[in-house]
Amino acid sequence: MFKSNSGKNAVRLHKSGPEIAQELHACIGCNECLLACPALGEPVTIDVLNRETLGGPISRPVAQFARACYQCGACVAPCPVGLHRDAMMMWLKVRLLRAGWGALQQ
Amino acid sequence: MKKAQAVNPIALDSADMVIVGNGIAGLTAAVEARRLAPEKSVVIMTSQSHPTINTPALKQFAIGKVTREQLLAYPAGTERTQRIHVVHAHVEEIRAQEKYLRLASGQCFGYGQLLLATGSHPTGLPHDLPGQDFDGVMTLHRLHDYLDLRRRLNEVEEAVVVGGGSHAIETVMGLLYWGITVHWLIRSETLLPRTLDRTASEMVLEGVRRAGAKIMTGTEVAGIVGRVGAVAGVVTTRQQLIPCQLVLVCTGTAPVMSLADQCDLPIKHQQGIQVDDFLRTSVRDIYAAGDVAALRDPLTGKYGPRAQWYAAVSQARTAAAVMTGNGEPEAFGVPWHATRLGDISMVSVGDPLAKSGQSAPLTSQRKGSYRRISLVDDRLVGYLSLGPAQPDSLAIKRIIDEGHSVREITRDLLRGEFDAHKYFSGKRNYVVKRMLTTGQPPTPLPPLSGRLPGESQALPRISPQTDALPQIVEGTSEQARQPVTGQIVRPVHAGSRSTSTPHPPNHQAAKEQRQQIAEQRTLIGEDPKFGPKVPFWEEDAPQGHGSERQFISPLKHSQDETDALANPHPSRSLWHYSSKLPAVKGKNHVQK
Repeated sequence: MFKSNSGKNAVRLHKSGPEIAQELHACIGCNECLLACPALGEPVTIDVLNRETLGGPISRPVAQFARACYQCGACVAPCPVGLHRDAMMMWLKVRLLRAGWGALQQ
Repeated sequence: MKKAQAVNPIALDSADMVIVGNGIAGLTAAVEARRLAPEKSVVIMTSQSHPTINTPALKQFAIGKVTREQLLAYPAGTERTQRIHVVHAHVEEIRAQEKYLRLASGQCFGYGQLLLATGSHPTGLPHDLPGQDFDGVMTLHRLHDYLDLRRRLNEVEEAVVVGGGSHAIETVMGLLYWGITVHWLIRSETLLPRTLDRTASEMVLEGVRRAGAKIMTGTEVAGIVGRVGAVAGVVTTRQQLIPCQLVLVCTGTAPVMSLADQCDLPIKHQQGIQVDDFLRTSVRDIYAAGDVAALRDPLTGKYGPRAQWYAAVSQARTAAAVMTGNGEPEAFGVPWHATRLGDISMVSVGDPLAKSGQSAPLTSQRKGSYRRISLVDDRLVGYLSLGPAQPDSLAIKRIIDEGHSVREITRDLLRGEFDAHKYFSGKRNYVVKRMLTTGQPPTPLPPLSGRLPGESQALPRISPQTDALPQIVEGTSEQARQPVTGQIVRPVHAGSRSTSTPHPPNHQAAKEQRQQIAEQRTLIGEDPKFGPKVPFWEEDAPQGHGSERQFISPLKHSQDETDALANPHPSRSLWHYSSKLPAVKGKNHVQK
């Protein structure tokens, strides 16, 4: 996810916003990515995760999950539809950053 | 209507938008309609006894990987928070002239606009097949079927699966997971004959065979033998008797068209209700989306249903946009199907088996993966990939839909080494391209609201955000900043372009090159990743502020990188571009 660009400390997201939205809409909710996730602590259901990645307020469990995600990419291989949960999680991190860490729903 | 009032005057109710069916298409359309038109009343009519679920996840449910609660497609209570009224009723008839529905209870329900999202039903075995009504002969389609299956699993040692589609493979793999001996009967010699060629089919079959299934191709069910009302075995057309306790029929699905038949005005339907790109049926104010809708394939021109998850979601979203009058229909493009066939991932985009005169399929088979590419000239028309890993298939769909030349990436596509990000960052941004070709500003999506009903007036309405469009700055002067209006905009680079720059003799080529660079500059100004016209997440960002700057600043490097990709030799380019003399500074106004 984070690609170093010849020592420039560049950050590059490999999916743009519309692409993330498209992938979220293509998600069939089979839960395989969450089963493969080593960072998922308390249970987060895929419906809530998808909704909150797409927009609206972010609930505490989802925010914690987004913080815990260290972009290992274990979620990508099991996806039967070939989606990139890591990129979606990155978006969630972006949304959290933009909202400010304190501005979360309790 | 008079009749209904005579029966029960209170029962006549109505809504602006009535959606029949609460599958994913129905609920997605309802949620989207609520977002786009907060003031309209939205009603879902359904005879289903459970909320909308992720139906593709039912196969994970069958093997116990997912609980019933995890099947929900939208968070529990979405209907309530989004003020979507769900009516549990069976719709019998559409009276399109007076615009009302007649329900099975005899009541009537008026509609302003009607969306048919009734989905599909399993085809099952022929009704005259001997023994097809024994207990233990099942189709797996709805949640109830899977609950039924899970209850039966303990008593089953051998099962027969009938059918040659991806659903059959999933069923076979699910049964094998539980340690059941599976006999799989396939009518034709190959699997998914409209998607897979023989090599691909063999690969998938070999995988399933390795997993332990007993596969019989070219074999059909001749009859089912039962004992005291329950299945005892299956007789095949090859005169074999296979003893089993369960027969799972996966012979495909067909759109539910009873409502289209029961309409006083003719709704055109053949294989599904025929709709145009706006999801309109042949009857005014009646729309269709999901498995029941038959769309035109842009490649073949034939109407046919696309019974897939993503197709249903995108159709529902478009239908809601059109019905609420916010219609900016997205072209659905070519069919896209990605799934797992046993332990192999399959992706098919467009028509991988296209056999027109000019198209030349290319195939590549290596290291347990197989790819097939159909080309017409240098355009991609079909892509099939089988293997342990999935390529970025939505990006490939985009290549087909947008008609890019694949001459340079054919080899990468064939070898499965296609890097979508690299490719598209070199290409023009989709939105920018459309803006340039249509001259229309892009329509940003308002955020999906998780607000309470009382706060709905705070929902932003869709309006072109002219101030959020990419801006072009000439030098550093404020006056030169002008928003993009209805014309193709090319950046002016007065500061960096010397008047004495010699034009190449070939003016046409120079013009093209200039336009190309102009578009790339616009792209950079636009910042495709986090452009100013951020669609749905904008609401969460605090206005004007440290956190945003913090985030954007590292991305500036990636802009440089994009620039480097697009223009490897800046000094040789028409317009010299450096950080000292910025040609385009789309972010300037944001920073101030």
